Amino acid sequence: MAEPRWKPVTAWEGIAAPGLFGRIDGAPGVIIELGGHVGMASVSAPAAALGAHYGLALTEAPRAYKIGDMTLIWTAPAQWLATSDDRSLADRLGAALSGVAAVADQSDARAVVRLSGPKARDVLAKGCLVDLHPRAFGPGQVAMTVFGHINVMLRQIDERPTFEIALFRSMAESFWHWLGAAAGEFGADIRG
Amino acid sequence: MRITCPYCGERDVREFSYLGGEPGPRPEGRDADIETMFEHVYQRPNPAGPIREYWYHAAGCHSWLIAERDTRTHAIAAVTAAADREVRS
Ligand SMILES: [Zn+2]
Repeated sequence: MAEPRWKPVTAWEGIAAPGLFGRIDGAPGVIIELGGHVGMASVSAPAAALGAHYGLALTEAPRAYKIGDMTLIWTAPAQWLATSDDRSLADRLGAALSGVAAVADQSDARAVVRLSGPKARDVLAKGCLVDLHPRAFGPGQVAMTVFGHINVMLRQIDERPTFEIALFRSMAESFWHWLGAAAGEFGADIRG
Repeated sequence: MRITCPYCGERDVREFSYLGGEPGPRPEGRDADIETMFEHVYQRPNPAGPIREYWYHAAGCHSWLIAERDTRTHAIAAVTAAADREVRS
């Protein structure tokens, strides 16, 4: 049987590659993890209805919730972005939320990147309109906002801090121009 | 200038786009004369003082909002979701 010519690639293929980037003396100030093949789905349902389904007190406010292997991220009133390492997430949710929510597969529609390390907050502060100081923004919080005129979903995952950014895949190269320039002075350890 | 989105919190004005003042109720098109429709479509009050106006959180949660802004100071007294507004008749 012939080898298939099509091979799935992440949104960062040909744009960013694992390795050290920018300043090379000393420990890297920021760790950049390039997101790969995850399952992603948009979920349309009011917080009250979705919360009742999961037995959780969901609100129409920018927060992320861990539900089993899934992270449910508020993106707009009655709009959510669900992510999971399980690539069949959309099929699974479509069946589970029948009659509760409209579900559409978004896997591969977005480029995902995670930033951590001692200078992660400093890198983001260069282009973020949202105050990321710990007293204003913390784990579990989400911001639908812009970096370099590019709409993104930004959320903080933990106290280290680790931040996750998801943006439309076609904007990945433009976003990388910004991120590379912002992270270069601190030194970046890019992981695939 | 910063606008406090009722969903997202306080955000830079660059995340929003501006539509304009909240218009009065639309005249009944079949019955209204041309002057009445002209007034409704083209004439805008330009008060020095508080007005209610539409803003769209385009780079955020994509919600239409109504801000109560004083045109003399740009001070915003309140921002509410347009979806929750009371429809005037
Ligand atoms: Zn908003």
